[in-house]
Amino acid sequence: MRDLVFVGYLGLLFLLAFKRPFLFVLAYCYIDIVAPQRLSYYLLNSIPLSAISFGLAFLAWLFFDDKKDSRFTPRMGAILLLLVYCGYMTTQALEPVAAQVKWDWVWKALIFAAFLPLTLTRKVRIEALVLMLILCASALIVAGGIKTAVGGGGYGQLVILVDDNSGLYESSIISTVAIAIIPLILWAAKYGTIFPPDWRVRAYAAALILVCLLIPVGTAARTGLVCIAVLGVLLLRFTQRRILYFSLIGAVGLAAIPFLPSTFTDRMETIQEYEKDESASTRLAVWKWTWDFAQANPMGGGFDSYRVNKIRYKMPLTDEEGRLTGESTTVEVVDAGRAFHSSYFEMLGEHGYFGLALWLFIHVGGVWRMEMLRRLYIKRAREDEEWVAPLALALQNFSIIYLVGSVFVGIAFQPFPYVIVAAQIGLDSYLARRRAEAAFRPIRSVLKRPESKLSTPAV
Amino acid sequence: MIDNFSILLSHALILIMFWRLVHNVRTDIEEPPRPDEDAAGFAANIRRQRHSRKKMDGPSDA
Repeated sequence: MRDLVFVGYLGLLFLLAFKRPFLFVLAYCYIDIVAPQRLSYYLLNSIPLSAISFGLAFLAWLFFDDKKDSRFTPRMGAILLLLVYCGYMTTQALEPVAAQVKWDWVWKALIFAAFLPLTLTRKVRIEALVLMLILCASALIVAGGIKTAVGGGGYGQLVILVDDNSGLYESSIISTVAIAIIPLILWAAKYGTIFPPDWRVRAYAAALILVCLLIPVGTAARTGLVCIAVLGVLLLRFTQRRILYFSLIGAVGLAAIPFLPSTFTDRMETIQEYEKDESASTRLAVWKWTWDFAQANPMGGGFDSYRVNKIRYKMPLTDEEGRLTGESTTVEVVDAGRAFHSSYFEMLGEHGYFGLALWLFIHVGGVWRMEMLRRLYIKRAREDEEWVAPLALALQNFSIIYLVGSVFVGIAFQPFPYVIVAAQIGLDSYLARRRAEAAFRPIRSVLKRPESKLSTPAV
Repeated sequence: MIDNFSILLSHALILIMFWRLVHNVRTDIEEPPRPDEDAAGFAANIRRQRHSRKKMDGPSDA
């Protein structure tokens, strides 16, 4: 039954997209993020859904879109360069089979991220993309948030729609994304035109933000708590009454603690006592291994090169109740094939210094470009451009939260952040074109002689 | 039931969004922007030159 519903739904989306070809791009985003083939049992799994929808999106742009407004930018070039470099490193990978498996989905994410800005040539399209990302993520977030609220959850136990530990369905990734999209939800609720702001939109936005904040509680992902802290600092940036803001946040946080599940508070406490937490010790050991690995292999080891690691680290002794004994004696732990647990070290270990530099250029470049746009459009202060600076800020905040969350989770190639990068590039190109159009004066209108003595025949 | 509610809500909103975009011409066609008060580029240079020449020449005879 569910299969038929999803097939029918996708058919409907594609039918509507034949009327407005840009909608094929949004349909691809839906298939990439929600992955209805994972929610289906058989029918959708037997169809190459992603390939079909991307093909339709590309052909629609090729044959029906006005390409004179499309622009190619340096960051799109960087994404394509990263794609080529990753492809080359896959052929040289230390773990060729595992590398090929990862490459099979990474190249799709990068190709789409490079292509998408070419289609974002209208303000409504940029808004539609942002809205699509929010609504697709909400399919998972609402389920996870409500389950958390009614008492479900726990590290590795919260099942969001399906029991799948990959893509957006993985707990650390959904925690990071759930917090990172909050600025975009706030923007859409205030400046949206597809769903114009009214009490229903504001109520939905408020409820969605609440369930977004519950996701880190339900998944007990420490990354989520760190992302919440970063979001709090970012929202403070333009707040007038900072002391009041801080006091309110602190009061709400303290008041909420007794209501939080013990699984969450116990896990968050391990942030302070990282020495006795094995996952934190593993992280540090893997990061050290990756650093040494990169010295010996500056170009990296290809996708999933962490599989060749063997690490040893010492952990302090704890008693039966898990408390540090304070003794100097430690226990040695030997581990192998431990994942990078950090996007930075993931890039360094898999694609070396060049890969890391490209990745930083793509994402940190977005933070910088959005800051430039924000400052420019505040200075311009035009009534019809009021939506620009807040959108640039929201996209920038997403990137910052993602970059901080990425320190502790290996999500360097997740498609969602790359779609946000594409939205940033599209916004930047669109605004550059519109500024040029607004500043343009046809030479004829300037050379037209004014009514003066020159036009009066001499006597 | 929670899963079904979440899927239903999000998918309904996506469908409404698609429907509105289909009926919104601004998805494909956009009006040109309002011209800037201060022009830029070659045309602006000519304007500025003309303006500064006028200032130097002073007011014309009646």
